[in-house]
Amino acid sequence: MSISPDGRIVKANRTVAEWLGLEPAQLVGTPLHDIFSFGARIAFETHLAPLLRMQGHVHEIALDLVTSGGEKVPTIGNAAEKRDSEGRHLFTRLTLFKAVDRRTYERSLVEARARAEAESEAQRDAIALRDQFAAVLGHDLRNPLAATSAGIHLLDRTEQLSERGRAILDEMKGCIGRASTLVDDLLDLARGSFGGGFLVERNADAPLAPVLEQVVSEARSVSLGNAIDLRIDIEEPVYCDRGRIAQLAANLLANAVTHGNAEQPILLDASTDSDSFMLSVVNGGEPIPEEILGQLFQPFFRGAARPSRNGLGLGLFIASEIAKAHGGRLEVASSAEATRFTLTMPARKPSA
Amino acid sequence: MQAEASAVLARHNVTVSGAGGRTMMFAHGFGCDQTMWQPVARNFERDFRVILFDYLGHGRSDLSAYSAERYCDLQAYADDVVTIGRALSLNDAVFVGHSVSAMIGALATLKAPGMFSDLVMVGPSPRYIDDAGYRGGFSREQVEELLEFLADNHLGWSAAMAPAIMGNTDRPELSERLENSFCSTDPEIARDFARVTFLSDNRSDLGSVAARTLVLQCTNDIIAPMEVGQFVHAAVPRSEYRLLQANGHCPNLSAPDEVTAAIRDFV
Repeated sequence: MSISPDGRIVKANRTVAEWLGLEPAQLVGTPLHDIFSFGARIAFETHLAPLLRMQGHVHEIALDLVTSGGEKVPTIGNAAEKRDSEGRHLFTRLTLFKAVDRRTYERSLVEARARAEAESEAQRDAIALRDQFAAVLGHDLRNPLAATSAGIHLLDRTEQLSERGRAILDEMKGCIGRASTLVDDLLDLARGSFGGGFLVERNADAPLAPVLEQVVSEARSVSLGNAIDLRIDIEEPVYCDRGRIAQLAANLLANAVTHGNAEQPILLDASTDSDSFMLSVVNGGEPIPEEILGQLFQPFFRGAARPSRNGLGLGLFIASEIAKAHGGRLEVASSAEATRFTLTMPARKPSA
Repeated sequence: MQAEASAVLARHNVTVSGAGGRTMMFAHGFGCDQTMWQPVARNFERDFRVILFDYLGHGRSDLSAYSAERYCDLQAYADDVVTIGRALSLNDAVFVGHSVSAMIGALATLKAPGMFSDLVMVGPSPRYIDDAGYRGGFSREQVEELLEFLADNHLGWSAAMAPAIMGNTDRPELSERLENSFCSTDPEIARDFARVTFLSDNRSDLGSVAARTLVLQCTNDIIAPMEVGQFVHAAVPRSEYRLLQANGHCPNLSAPDEVTAAIRDFV
């Protein structure tokens, strides 16, 4: 079709006339708008016409025509302005192709994308719900655990117990300790995914060594077989969140107790050099298969070969998040001689 | 503050040109971007400081700053105009708005009195859909059909968020590639903006507009018919009305000289 500068059809071929159910002669003199659907008319006037004016042509545009019977004919097309040597607009040539299938295909792409977006939003909602559930569950489990723990404490201090009763009580203490750790891990997971990262409060107000000694002494009290050695060679104070470093060390020790060879001692080694703090936990036993080394720090990861007896699979994930939150990293190396987890992080407050 | 202001200017791809005591700010309408004002704006660079910008999602604005929740009415767009105006410390400036931007400009004068002393409304409409005792030119069904068309047809809108016009006359294949490089609009944002625009009703705001106002009405404008322009003129207290010979909805492109002359006479 050819269109005059004032927007009227001056020439139309037989094909477009047939689409519209008219004779070519009937189209001559008709405003171009009149053969467009309303949507196409406004899109043309507000977007395509200005574009045509500015760049002289528009390519691959979608337009709906309307037949004399009111049916829509989806088309795609190109338009170009013919101008004279002084740049005056003479007429516009509009070339349209019927594009029923192509437009249906495009529409289904748009719909598919909308569906995919809705699904991913539903998934985000489900994850948020899961995190909330974990947070509420963890929080609500704390109270009965604290009450049970207080009860055990009372029995331990004030009641006369047989030797068997005392052994049972010691078992129960260990179980409560593990249950509390699991609940703390669960809460950390929920908080971590809520806020996108673990909160750590770093300072250098107190020494770290006594904290690590306490962690080792607690681990010894619940470890059945292993000896746990402690080697500390640090220049205090270390700029860190001591509660979090204790949690990291406890998680690594619990991991070593669970997975290591009970006959071989476990070593916790903490040291500093001029600017870094290093903490490693070493145990003997079967090496960790190479193919799962890379997944150890994923949440809910549990080694298939040696299923964890009493964990959610969050301990190493949380330890690694704590390392990251301190600007450091947690790494693992495993061989026939030993398995070693090492935290490396800055020991001093960064100067602003 | 300085950094904040330059972030605003970058976000809206604000360009400042010309020299003069007064500032004239041009705002594009639905479906286009700031390039549509260039044929007119360049005529004012001699004696005005000239500001051009793109609304978010249009032209070369920062797409990532757009949010469908925030831009749910014209006020949000007017707030952006005011934010740009503050970043440039505008006072008693002239605001020239095309199409829906005429109303956005009116809302901006209400939000920030003193920022714009003069308002030029090119093809304004305070409400597109007919109502009892009011003819806007659109029926609700027609607007629905338009929104559906925009939702289904992304072709021709987004083709090139590409770098602008390249002056590579010796390598024509480069400019060949930049199909539809003006007025590029994210198709989803275009649909949102269409909804906000064509479902708007700001008739009750017109009476509060205190700026000196010029209503420029086009001949045969299917978006803003003749009686809508007259309605705006009757409702805005300090307004003048001028009918342009220019045909269609975009006189800034089809008759830039006539539009320039009309604005000049007014300011």
